[in-house]
Amino acid sequence: MALDVRELVRERMPDFPMARCGRLVTDTSEFMRIDYGDVIELGGMHYLVFKDESERRFGLEDPKYWVKRCRCLESGESKILKLVFYESFTLHLGAIAVQCYRSPQKEARILMEVRGDIRFMQGVPINDTRGNVVRVLDIIRGKPIDVVADAIEADHETYFYEHFPDLLARFITACEAIASLHDRFEKHGDVRRDHLLMEHGTRQCRWIDFDYAFQSHENPFGLDLFGLGNILLFLVGKRIYTAQELARFPAPVIQSINEDDLSLMFPHRIMNIGKLFPYIPKELNYILQHFSSGAPLFYESTAELLDDLRPVLKTMQPAP
Amino acid sequence: MTTRNAREDAMDCTHIMIAVDGSENSMRAVDYTAAIIGCRGGFTVQVVHIERLPDRDLFPDEAAWKKNCNAYAADMRRFLADSRQKLLDAGMGSDDVTELYVPSCQRPSPDQEALRCSHGATISQEILRCMEEGGYGTIVVGRRGLSKAEEFIFGSVSSKIVHHAKGCTIWVVS
Repeated sequence: MALDVRELVRERMPDFPMARCGRLVTDTSEFMRIDYGDVIELGGMHYLVFKDESERRFGLEDPKYWVKRCRCLESGESKILKLVFYESFTLHLGAIAVQCYRSPQKEARILMEVRGDIRFMQGVPINDTRGNVVRVLDIIRGKPIDVVADAIEADHETYFYEHFPDLLARFITACEAIASLHDRFEKHGDVRRDHLLMEHGTRQCRWIDFDYAFQSHENPFGLDLFGLGNILLFLVGKRIYTAQELARFPAPVIQSINEDDLSLMFPHRIMNIGKLFPYIPKELNYILQHFSSGAPLFYESTAELLDDLRPVLKTMQPAP
Repeated sequence: MTTRNAREDAMDCTHIMIAVDGSENSMRAVDYTAAIIGCRGGFTVQVVHIERLPDRDLFPDEAAWKKNCNAYAADMRRFLADSRQKLLDAGMGSDDVTELYVPSCQRPSPDQEALRCSHGATISQEILRCMEEGGYGTIVVGRRGLSKAEEFIFGSVSSKIVHHAKGCTIWVVS
C-alpha cells in the first residue's frame, strides 16, 4: 500500500492495527481477494475494508463476498460497498421457476432514480479504474419488518388491534414506494420480508437490494406484487401459518380450510387467515385472497393493491 | 354512431392477424389457420411479431446485449418467413399473406424501415393496437397453457387479449 494511504489509515483510524494494513485496491474485479485491512480507492475516496457482509437465510449465514463493510477514511462514515458480481440463478416459487440475474447496472440506475427518497436505501454508484460499477451504500440501522412484527409480545388479537394498524400504515408507504418504481418501468426484483427494513428511531420502512433482474414482458411487476402479498400475509398474521400448524385451532376452523384458502405459490401456506382469526376485517382478508389458489382474479398493478389497502387502514385507525 | 362502433363496423372477419412469438404454440396457431382457410379464397392474413428484446439488465455489457438482440431479431424474422410460407403452402395467394415485424423502440440499433415501434407496453396491448390500426376482424394466438400461478407471475397474452379485445373474434389455439 502506498505510504500516503497508510498514513491516512494511521491518522483517521488510530486504533486500527497497522500490521493488518493490506493492499490498495483500485480494480475491484477480483472481489474474493479483497479482505480485511485492504483499502478500496473510488472516486478519490478511500474505504478501509472490515469484513464481507452476510445474509441469514433459513438459519444459515450465507456470506456475500462481493459486499464489503467499510469505513470511508476521509469522512469517517461506515459504508457498504457492493462490488460487481454477475450471476444468474433460478428462483423457485413453489412449482414455478423464474430465471433471475444479478444486475449491478440496474441497482446503480435505481439508486440514482431514488436519490433522496428515504423509502429506499441510499447510495451512489462509482466506477472503479476497470469500469466496474461499485455501489457505495449508506448503512441502514434497523431490522426487517417481519422481525419487528414477530418481536411484539402480544397475543394475535392484541397485536392485530394495537400494533398492526401502525405496521399497515408503514407497509402502505412501502407499497407506494414500489408503485413509484413501477411507474418508472423499474422493478424491485426481490421483494421479500428481509429486504424491507424498519429503521431504528424513525421507524421508516426502507427497501434494500434491488439488483435482481428477470424477464417478464406480459406482467413485468407480477413478482414484485407477489412479494408484497407475502409480506402483507406475515404482517396480518404476525407470522406465516401453514397447514401443519393448524392443530391448535378448533376443529370447525380446521375443517373449514380448503384448497382455495392456500397460497397460489406455496400450497402449505394459509392465505385466507380470516378463517383462523374471525376479527380480521373481510376487506383485508379479501386482499389476501387475491394471492390464494381460489382467487378468481389477480392484482395487475401495485396501484390496484393500494386502492384496496388504504380504505382498510382508515377503518382500523382510531378516529382523530 | 360512436367512434368505436364505426371502428367495429370497419373490422372485417376475413382480415386475419396471427400474432406470433417464435414459440411452438404460435406455430400451432399458424398451422391451424392454414388448415382452416388455406384453400378457401377471400381471406387476407398478416403474421405479426411484436419485438420484445431481452432486458439490457440481463447482460454484463452492451456488446453482449446487442449480440443477443440481433440473434433474437434474426430468429423472429425467420419465424415470420416460415409462417408465411406455411400459409402459402396451404394454398393462400402470395398477395394475401403479409408479415409485420414491430420493432421495440428500445432496440440498440433503430429499425429505419419500420413504420412504428413498440413502446414497452405489454404484448397484449400492442397486439390489440395492431388489431385496431389494421382493422383486423380476427386475431389468432397460440396458448401456452400456463398454470394459474404462472399466469400470476408471468401474465398470459392470450387471456388478456380475450379479456380486452372488442369488436373482433379471437381464436386461441391450444
